[in-house]
Amino acid sequence: MTFWTYRRRDNLVGYLFVAPALLGSLAFVLIPLGMVGWYSLNEWNVLGGTFEFIGGENYQRLLADEKLRDSLVATAWFAAGLVVLNLTLALLLAVLLNQKLRGTTLFRTLFFSPVLVSLVAWTLVWQLMLQPEGSVNDLLGLAGVDGPNWLRGESSAMVSVIVVQVIKNVGLNMVLFLAALQGVPAPLYEAAKIDGAGAWTRFTRITIPLISPTILLTSIITIVGSLQVFAQIAVLTQGGPGTSTTVLIYYLYQQAFQFHHFGYGATISVLLFVIVAALTLVQWRMRRKWVLHES
Amino acid sequence: MSRLLALLCTALIALTACSGSSAQSGPKTLRMTVWTANEAHLKLLNEIAAEYKAAHPDVTEIKFDSIPADGYTTTLTTQIAGGNAPDLAWILEESAPDFVSSGALAPIKAKVEKAEELVPSATKLWEKDGELFAYPFSTSPFGLFVNTDLVKDLPATWDEAVAAAAGKNLVLPDFKYQNWAVLSAIWRGWGAQAWSDDGKQCGFASAEMKDAMTFVHKAIFTDKAIPGPGTTVDFFAGDAAMAISQISRAGALKDAKFGWTLLPLPKGPKGDYAVIGQAGVGVLKRSKNAETAADFLGFFTNAANSAKLAQFFPPVRQSLLNADTLAKSNPLIKPEQLQSVVIDGISKGVVKPSHQGQEELNQTIRAALDPLWKPDADVSSVLDGVCAKIKPLLERS
Amino acid sequence: MSRKVWLYGLLCLLCVPFVFPTWWMVTSSMKPISEIFSESLLPSEWTFSTYSTVFKMQPFGQQYWNSLYIAVIVTVGTMAVAALAGYAFARIKFPGQNVLFVVVLTGLLIPSEVTIVPLFQLFQSLGMTNTHWPLIIVPIFGAPCVLAIFIMRQFFLALPPELEEAARMDGLGRAGIFYRIALPLSRPALGAVAIFTFLHSWNLYLEPIVYLSTPDMFTLPQALTQFVDIYGGPMWNVQLAAATMTAVPILVVFVVAQRQFIEGLAHTGVKG
Repeated sequence: MTFWTYRRRDNLVGYLFVAPALLGSLAFVLIPLGMVGWYSLNEWNVLGGTFEFIGGENYQRLLADEKLRDSLVATAWFAAGLVVLNLTLALLLAVLLNQKLRGTTLFRTLFFSPVLVSLVAWTLVWQLMLQPEGSVNDLLGLAGVDGPNWLRGESSAMVSVIVVQVIKNVGLNMVLFLAALQGVPAPLYEAAKIDGAGAWTRFTRITIPLISPTILLTSIITIVGSLQVFAQIAVLTQGGPGTSTTVLIYYLYQQAFQFHHFGYGATISVLLFVIVAALTLVQWRMRRKWVLHES
Repeated sequence: MSRLLALLCTALIALTACSGSSAQSGPKTLRMTVWTANEAHLKLLNEIAAEYKAAHPDVTEIKFDSIPADGYTTTLTTQIAGGNAPDLAWILEESAPDFVSSGALAPIKAKVEKAEELVPSATKLWEKDGELFAYPFSTSPFGLFVNTDLVKDLPATWDEAVAAAAGKNLVLPDFKYQNWAVLSAIWRGWGAQAWSDDGKQCGFASAEMKDAMTFVHKAIFTDKAIPGPGTTVDFFAGDAAMAISQISRAGALKDAKFGWTLLPLPKGPKGDYAVIGQAGVGVLKRSKNAETAADFLGFFTNAANSAKLAQFFPPVRQSLLNADTLAKSNPLIKPEQLQSVVIDGISKGVVKPSHQGQEELNQTIRAALDPLWKPDADVSSVLDGVCAKIKPLLERS
Repeated sequence: MSRKVWLYGLLCLLCVPFVFPTWWMVTSSMKPISEIFSESLLPSEWTFSTYSTVFKMQPFGQQYWNSLYIAVIVTVGTMAVAALAGYAFARIKFPGQNVLFVVVLTGLLIPSEVTIVPLFQLFQSLGMTNTHWPLIIVPIFGAPCVLAIFIMRQFFLALPPELEEAARMDGLGRAGIFYRIALPLSRPALGAVAIFTFLHSWNLYLEPIVYLSTPDMFTLPQALTQFVDIYGGPMWNVQLAAATMTAVPILVVFVVAQRQFIEGLAHTGVKG
């Protein structure tokens, strides 16, 4: 009867509801991202105040950069180590807490608590504890293990950075897994037991498939997150020893902010964005293959 | 697409310029970035600023922004990149070549009171084509602090120093197995250099450097004189026999519960030498009040204020560089120590290594030296490796 | 029986790396600096002077307030923006919806280091550097909000359509349905968003360093790095005291409200 049908009003409400988020994305994500793309085509000398169009030169440099290759390798190790350790530990903790035991609430609280400690404080504390005469080696000493100089060895530094990050954040994934585990119907286990399936079989054949949507979600968040880990590296290792822990985001920071190569830094930013976007897309595409009952 | 973006960039930059242009006439404000957050330092800076404001009513505010020393240059550069350059900035000696050569700084020689009395060796780093681009307000020689409770016979050579410190710790507080440039306080005694004076040739693979670094490696891992990587030993708390540090650290010994003395750096195989660390203060060319800022810099560094600053920052004015004047502001150090370490040090000292693109060199050398800090390291091949890594960087400039 | 003993043993052992750092942080903040690297679990003498030093060296109370009020505004703002957008993307059909959703999702993929320079230029041109505006506006409307939108959308997707049908029959418009029906039901998801957002804002490190330049504007993570002696050497025990003060109140709130807290979180992501 009028112009404002229910459908039209609905459309308007829809646009109004998404407007704040959309305008925000435009102003604070897309336009800045476009500007980064533009910087990557320029040589920008910050101190001298010159800004010069150089076309694809930065991208050629990207292809020839050996340090970038080292950094990509370090990034891959870091991301792989982090995701595997984080998800395994999160699942292990969730399974343990899902047992019928008194006091699991207490343990749940304790495992979750590092999530709430501010990142800088957490890293600062670990930096001191990982010194050769720090608490970590004192504790290992109690177990008769002679700990290494954690932050000075190439592989031990990488392990340290991963472990510190996992302990900080594994609580989040643990809680998500715990909720998923509690959603698995008990009769399924009973039936499997009657069929003679052992604990391990029940876990791999029932639990894992049923919680696969959660595994997908946590692995996406964890992988994307692992490519953004910056402050921890900056405080703990500064990318060393050698360049063993110089992950891509840290290399980008070095080039842009420390070496003043803003144009080249922007080029690495573009690469990082492409990698993150590709990884997310692949995982999202793969979900149909290995996630049960995706709607 | 890119044209649109270019347009957008231009618009943004124009916007930045517009919003700022109103400050040109009328009351002026100045902002100086510093890396100290120390109360006593800031109090003195603010006193000097207050005096200047009293004499110049058009300057309504002089603000000192403390940026953490760790990452100072990074933060400063980010501010400059974002169009928020300070009017004046403290500059570390290692960034001096970058700032001076890039044209980011305004010339200041005309504003400096009695510029002819500045010690030439101390201003070299801050000059280009006969013009001065920053005032070296702090020139601090390295010396050997000795805990006389732990060491009875004062060492005169490096061999004696390491022998005396064996098992008792000779520390380099700023080194931390990262700031390799601090080691120049040792290797100069062997006549070694990080790179040639023109900055083109790598010096790490030289015979002198290899001898010096073999000595350092042995002092760490064989003689156990220098604490190994990751070990924290605090000289100023009395835990170490000796420390190689800048003279400006003497203030930390005010309440020391042990006997101590200050010596010039020990003699190396090549004899006497001195190494200094520096800090300059410059005026950013892009400052809207560059003229006023340079004028304030002249006031900040005149003879009277330099004398006040001397209690924290060793001066480069010849008129202040005598034991009597320095003793007034440095009651902790005896006049003869001031003469041998500070005055002689400033006049004959070499500044810690610095180069254009210093931060990239720093990180590259730091990474290339890391394999050296292991007991079984092959010193010679590690040092050859350093040169291989930094050669392209040295050639670039 | 023995299975229980094993389980408890395992849980206790696993707890060590989670609990020990916090324990060490709190106790070491009361140790004299010379004991930081000693093996003792407790200080030989308890000193609280580090805590007063924290307030002497920095306007720590003001910095605490800065962090707190910024985090609260960001949390409330994000909840509002994310609930509106999440609801619209999940429940309303309008042209261009999917494209717009993908546009918004881009923000999830961008580390903040990537866009910090253009954003800094933007806020510089608006005269907003050394103010808290960038730390408030960007998280509410920009990239950090995207995860919140995603969580809210997943939640609203799982909402049974019958509820809305009934409300529409009763004559409620879209806004009414959202406000009266959907929003009250989404409390668990909003809780999760609140927790994520608060922690994100509370932990922000790079942005404050870039935007803020005077100590009375600083936020806590930034302030933590400022406890250094005249020569730039860190004062560890003072740093640890400040770190303790930033961590402990949050931990206490968590222990008190942990049921709502964790159950709120658990409601995210598992559906949809």
